[in-house]
Amino acid sequence: MPELKVLLPNLIKRLPEFWKACGDTLLMEVWSGSIIFVLGLIFGIILTVTKPGGIMENKPVYQILDKIINLFRSIPFIILLTALMPLSRAIMGTAIYVRGVIVPLVFGATPFFSRQVESALAQTDKGLIEAALSMGSSPFEVIFRVYLRESLAPIIRAVTITIISLLGLTAMAGAVGAGGLGDFAIRYGHDRNMIDITWVTVIVLVIGVSVVQWLGEYLARRNTH
Amino acid sequence: MIELEHIVKNFRSDNDKLIHAVNDVSLKINDGDIFGIIGFSGAGKSTLVRCINLLERPDSGSVKIDGVEMMTLKPRELYKARTKIGMIFQQFNLMPSRTVLQNVAYPLRNMTKEQIRKKVRELLALVDIPDKENAYPSELSGGQKQRVAIARALANDPTILLCDEATSALDPQTTGAILQLLKDLNKKLGLTIVVITHEMEVVKHICRRAAVMDAGKIIESGDVFEIFSSPKHQVTQNFVRTTSNLSKIDTLIRDKSPIVKLKPGEVMARLVYVHADVSEPLISYASRAFDIEINIILSDVEIVADSMVGGTVVIFNGDSEKIERTMQYYRDKNIRVEVIQDARA
Repeated sequence: MPELKVLLPNLIKRLPEFWKACGDTLLMEVWSGSIIFVLGLIFGIILTVTKPGGIMENKPVYQILDKIINLFRSIPFIILLTALMPLSRAIMGTAIYVRGVIVPLVFGATPFFSRQVESALAQTDKGLIEAALSMGSSPFEVIFRVYLRESLAPIIRAVTITIISLLGLTAMAGAVGAGGLGDFAIRYGHDRNMIDITWVTVIVLVIGVSVVQWLGEYLARRNTH
Repeated sequence: MIELEHIVKNFRSDNDKLIHAVNDVSLKINDGDIFGIIGFSGAGKSTLVRCINLLERPDSGSVKIDGVEMMTLKPRELYKARTKIGMIFQQFNLMPSRTVLQNVAYPLRNMTKEQIRKKVRELLALVDIPDKENAYPSELSGGQKQRVAIARALANDPTILLCDEATSALDPQTTGAILQLLKDLNKKLGLTIVVITHEMEVVKHICRRAAVMDAGKIIESGDVFEIFSSPKHQVTQNFVRTTSNLSKIDTLIRDKSPIVKLKPGEVMARLVYVHADVSEPLISYASRAFDIEINIILSDVEIVADSMVGGTVVIFNGDSEKIERTMQYYRDKNIRVEVIQDARA
């Protein structure tokens, strides 16, 4: 493909590295995303049920979790990245590459996703909760059979938004040695002024975001009746 | 039997004021009864009915169902007890992501798929909406939604059904149909039904006994017919008036309508039937016996709990003495006579 060589001279020379960068970004998304999904879901549920008027109202638990989430949400991610390096070394054994960035990614995006889950669950009609309780459901049953089931569409939307914002965070993580597309674009596209690499990275990310967005919307719609 | 004793439930309002939602209420509801609790909004009736299945836990008092004290049940026992107390709501509260079948199946436990399907079909047939099991709630009309909600509430064969303003979101015709269904279920299943409403019509239509609630207290209770025919408390009188056409006369008088303009010597009075037997031809008899003319302006008689309730607004025309004797005659017959206007000299 001679045309590609003309159009994208620098990228063609670094194709293996490009694919690896794509793979690393995907790896960061999947690993941290999975952990964030589980933790955020748990925290979002805890916030919802322990808040005043919730089905397992518990002031101390709610207040503490609420404050912790606010604390981490107020720290800019780039600072969080460096601040959590010791913790990262302790947990993952390293503070660089994909392994080293999972911890800051989790700390950076879990509070965001928790809030998203909280607001998704808050859309559940109070009447449904009351009806479920009147039918003898325990609080745990209400969580799984009413809250999660009935808020499936907004939760899917929350996951979509979080995956997309996580992509932004992985790019930033590239700056401190995580690798991935962000790192690839900065190192070549910016530092060595290889414009084609910047553009291809942008296009890949736009396509990735679009696919996630489309899939999320499709699934959310299918679960709306 | 539902026995509530000295139920107190307070709330804190947003500006931290104490609200006595339910203030020392005691109530006994017999098995198989259809019991109405009527009150204007904010009277505390919704809170009171939630105290029966402990969706609201009273601050103090005792809730006994078939002799079992609910307040001291462990959580697990309470969840089990609730399966025997069905509840339906004003906004139906069906789960929008589930089909009709899945909604009705929600409270069913420990059953195979086949058993569930069979039970749900029975329930849907019972509430007379058999052909909608795969529809989503958003595809149903209000009346259909409430039928599904009733089916769901009856899934675990409860002995009690609580209805919280169950017909308030429905049009009058659908309201009638749902009330009829509740009446049938009461008869067919021996279901004890507690109806919360702000509409006198509802109580009139299906309840045998009722309590009137105001400001967290029960101000009057008893036989629906008694409450209707001789309301003692001001609030109850207001309720009765909302459903009776007899109060229209007040509007006519205020508007100075020519219909209600009296000639000299005439008396306008409201005759209200207090007792169950108004089968005697009281108007025509009195007219002949006392030799006066009795002109019926308005009349409103209804059947409540199989007895007649209501009365007429009449204008007496004749000798002053004879009018007086006529009215005395009515009073002796246990008819309440309220003179509205008196144009005698």
